[in-house]
Amino acid sequence: MIDPQVLAETASRKLSNLVDEYVVNANIVSSVMVKYADGEVTVTQSWKDYILDVYVSKNSKINTSTYTTHDPIEVLSKLPSLIEKLTASPLYTPLPEPTGSPLSIIDSRLKDSSLSGDISGLLGSIDVKSYGNVAGMIEISYSRSHYIGSNGLDSGFEITEFNGYFRVFRGDDSGQWAWVSTFYDESLARGALDKASSLAELCSSLPKENIETGYYRVLLSPMVSGNLLESVARFSTAGSVILGFSFLQGKKAGDIIASEKLTLREVPRNNRLPNYRGFDDEGVATMDKPIIERGVFKGFLHNSKTAKLMNEKTTGNAGWILPRIFNLEVEPGDIRESELLEALGDGLYATNNWYTRFQNFLEGTFSTVTRDALLIVKRGKPIACSRRARLAGSLPEMLSSIEDLSRERWQIKWWEVRAPIILPHMLIKKITVTSTTL
Amino acid sequence: MSEAVGLVDFIKLERIVEEAIRSGAEYAEVRYHRVDGLSLFFLNGVLFGAYQPLVSGVAIRVVYSGGLGFSSTSDLTSEGLRDALSRAIASARSSSFMVKNKVVMGAASLGYAKYSVLERKLLVDMPVEDKINSLVEKLKSIDFKRDPMRISSYTLSYNENIEYKMLVTSDGAVIESRVPRVSLFYNISASSGERRANRWNMLAASGGFEVVDKVKLEEEINDDLNSLYTSLVKAQSPPRGRMDVVLGPEIVGLAMHESVGHPSEADRVLGREAAQAGLSYRREYREPQFGSELVTVIDDPTIPGSYGFYLYDDEGVPARRRFLINKGRLEELLHNRETAAVFNVESNASARATDYRSEPIVRMANTYMAPGDYTFEELIEDVREGVYIRKYMEWNIDDYRWNARYVGLEAYIIKDGRLGDPVRDVVLEITTKEFFSNIDAIGRDLEFSAGTCGKGEPSQPMPVWMGGPHIRLRGVRL
Repeated sequence: MIDPQVLAETASRKLSNLVDEYVVNANIVSSVMVKYADGEVTVTQSWKDYILDVYVSKNSKINTSTYTTHDPIEVLSKLPSLIEKLTASPLYTPLPEPTGSPLSIIDSRLKDSSLSGDISGLLGSIDVKSYGNVAGMIEISYSRSHYIGSNGLDSGFEITEFNGYFRVFRGDDSGQWAWVSTFYDESLARGALDKASSLAELCSSLPKENIETGYYRVLLSPMVSGNLLESVARFSTAGSVILGFSFLQGKKAGDIIASEKLTLREVPRNNRLPNYRGFDDEGVATMDKPIIERGVFKGFLHNSKTAKLMNEKTTGNAGWILPRIFNLEVEPGDIRESELLEALGDGLYATNNWYTRFQNFLEGTFSTVTRDALLIVKRGKPIACSRRARLAGSLPEMLSSIEDLSRERWQIKWWEVRAPIILPHMLIKKITVTSTTL
Repeated sequence: MSEAVGLVDFIKLERIVEEAIRSGAEYAEVRYHRVDGLSLFFLNGVLFGAYQPLVSGVAIRVVYSGGLGFSSTSDLTSEGLRDALSRAIASARSSSFMVKNKVVMGAASLGYAKYSVLERKLLVDMPVEDKINSLVEKLKSIDFKRDPMRISSYTLSYNENIEYKMLVTSDGAVIESRVPRVSLFYNISASSGERRANRWNMLAASGGFEVVDKVKLEEEINDDLNSLYTSLVKAQSPPRGRMDVVLGPEIVGLAMHESVGHPSEADRVLGREAAQAGLSYRREYREPQFGSELVTVIDDPTIPGSYGFYLYDDEGVPARRRFLINKGRLEELLHNRETAAVFNVESNASARATDYRSEPIVRMANTYMAPGDYTFEELIEDVREGVYIRKYMEWNIDDYRWNARYVGLEAYIIKDGRLGDPVRDVVLEITTKEFFSNIDAIGRDLEFSAGTCGKGEPSQPMPVWMGGPHIRLRGVRL
């Protein structure tokens, strides 16, 4: 296996006399994914990739590249001729001084199994089959990165990851749950199976009803609130604002944009989540910070380029061209999870959703479709179950309408929540729900 | 056509296949897959960055004792390829212990072929500065002014990629292909008074740099500026209730993709995507007459110049047109060889993989509703009260592909057979059954839109076209 530090050093030598500035990130990723449907394994996949990410600038022209190929160094030689032909970028600013130190987190069980591709020992104790009709996946991975930059950055780190999700069916009813961690813990997989199974069984035990269109109090599970709050976090990156894809365009730090119950933080230094990072792609130290603190917007997420453009400071969220988010966390609230339905009173408990689309990015208007158990709750008790409805509204209104959050939190990442996030259930006072046919 | 791929050739791929079979695999498939890309990003007409991805490596898929295993590597040394093969076999073997129904790759007439899409303006030969200048000039030629509407920003990304593949299977498929593609994606953010809106659009086709002219970027942006102006400055609240609705090709194409194409994917019907992209109404829907007999929906990978073009799929099966709905009756599903074997039919060449890191799964190519014989004027002339929705700005659909929502960007009242005032934020929420049952007239036009279809875990973005004519739906709820 090629050592990423050696690959980064070779790339660095190749570029050092050809461009004004550069950063290379040599990355080796090994991962294994097992996919399930109808309680059985449909395919096991194993990847081993060598990835060389490159940033170069010359005369204020900027170019980034990703080479996932056998001999990235050979391809690298084409870069200087390409950059000559570009025009100066209005986003260009010199690379900042590197200030971050590497942070690694390794679970040797995940590392060894990812590298060998043999997961039978590790996953053998997770008895998916005993839950009946289950679909989903389990993924383990190990990655090792090494960055070298013309700004003095020279640092590497390693990360392991264990994530997955299950959808359990009971007849036509279903429940779904997900998890993510940097450590192997089979109870996370079993917990997701239990949670998905209990939701499916609860829905199955209840009469079925279509939801009438109207305004509802709605309890959002972490699967749903994770999906929507990930969008809020992405809209808080300066790149979304500059490109015209954010309802936060025109907002400034100090503006109240949510209920005081909500604190949403960007947490690259949380070692339970796999985008655990000591420095960003420019070498700047990452920091955990609020995006929204008790309802107050705390500012946009920046790299050095967008920071210069908006006359602010980098927040350690580079992205070489535009800023990015690493991990997210939502502060817990006051309600015990066992008391959530009581706190909801009369309303709906949406346990999962998908296909969130924005009607208007600038106004934050969206709709999203619920899937799996959608519980109709009266006086704190589930009295019926639906499966599909559509939540429609605007993110600004939804954020202002957060009444409370649960004390217990979950670590979520799945198909519809790409950024790892730790978060509680979220109780929304009022949101439009439109009826769909079962 | 052969690319300079250095360490890989067909002989080497065949050796891996042979080694897999010697190791006990029932089936082996080896694909060298290389995607060379270039993206150029413009903000308000100025280039602000470039991105050059190169993704190349070898994918190996084997069936071993009925278990399916997949591996990939970008390490093309003998050692790297041996390691990838041993991981694929180990994966398949471990899968085999946990399957009730053994995986079988269905029999198919497999290709021994080589094909490529020709470029009038070669992507690799055209200097990048010429590409930049051409795009900047096109943007400069557009008059963005539409007072009192203000443009806060507009972005354009130009993306080209050249996809080169060599495929060998243990049962005789040998395919070499080269497909270049170009796409343009833009977003315009606009406001008028307190109202703000944005319009994004994607224009794409297979071919060389000539695609940039072919997709008429300037005309499309101008038309979208007019749509934004209409929506922000002139449009009023829409009527509500049951009425006739005429839909434009952009929405019809999207509906064919979402409400017919996806639910016709056999892996979805079997539940293989249940935890990700969901299931399908075609699991349960047993009546073959599904909608108006005027409706025929086709998926066709072989349309020349299309964004979803291919002649052989990633299992080596020759591509052909698939009739998903024929005169209102549900017909074919989209199959790869694995799902075809389960349904006891022959694969209709729907296996596609995004890159070497991706297993081939069931995908659409170019999905469209076949045109009818109405002119646009004939479609609206006997509508007493209704709405014409020309473009959408938001859509979604549930994971059974049954309840869809489309929100109009540009829409107009129809009154007594004539187009009237514009309306904004028209919302059409409708079941798939109601959509197809209420169509009573289909236009003679046919337009395609480009899209990047999402499916798979890990996600495999896939180039597709979606198309249709104008259509009329009677008595649906807005």
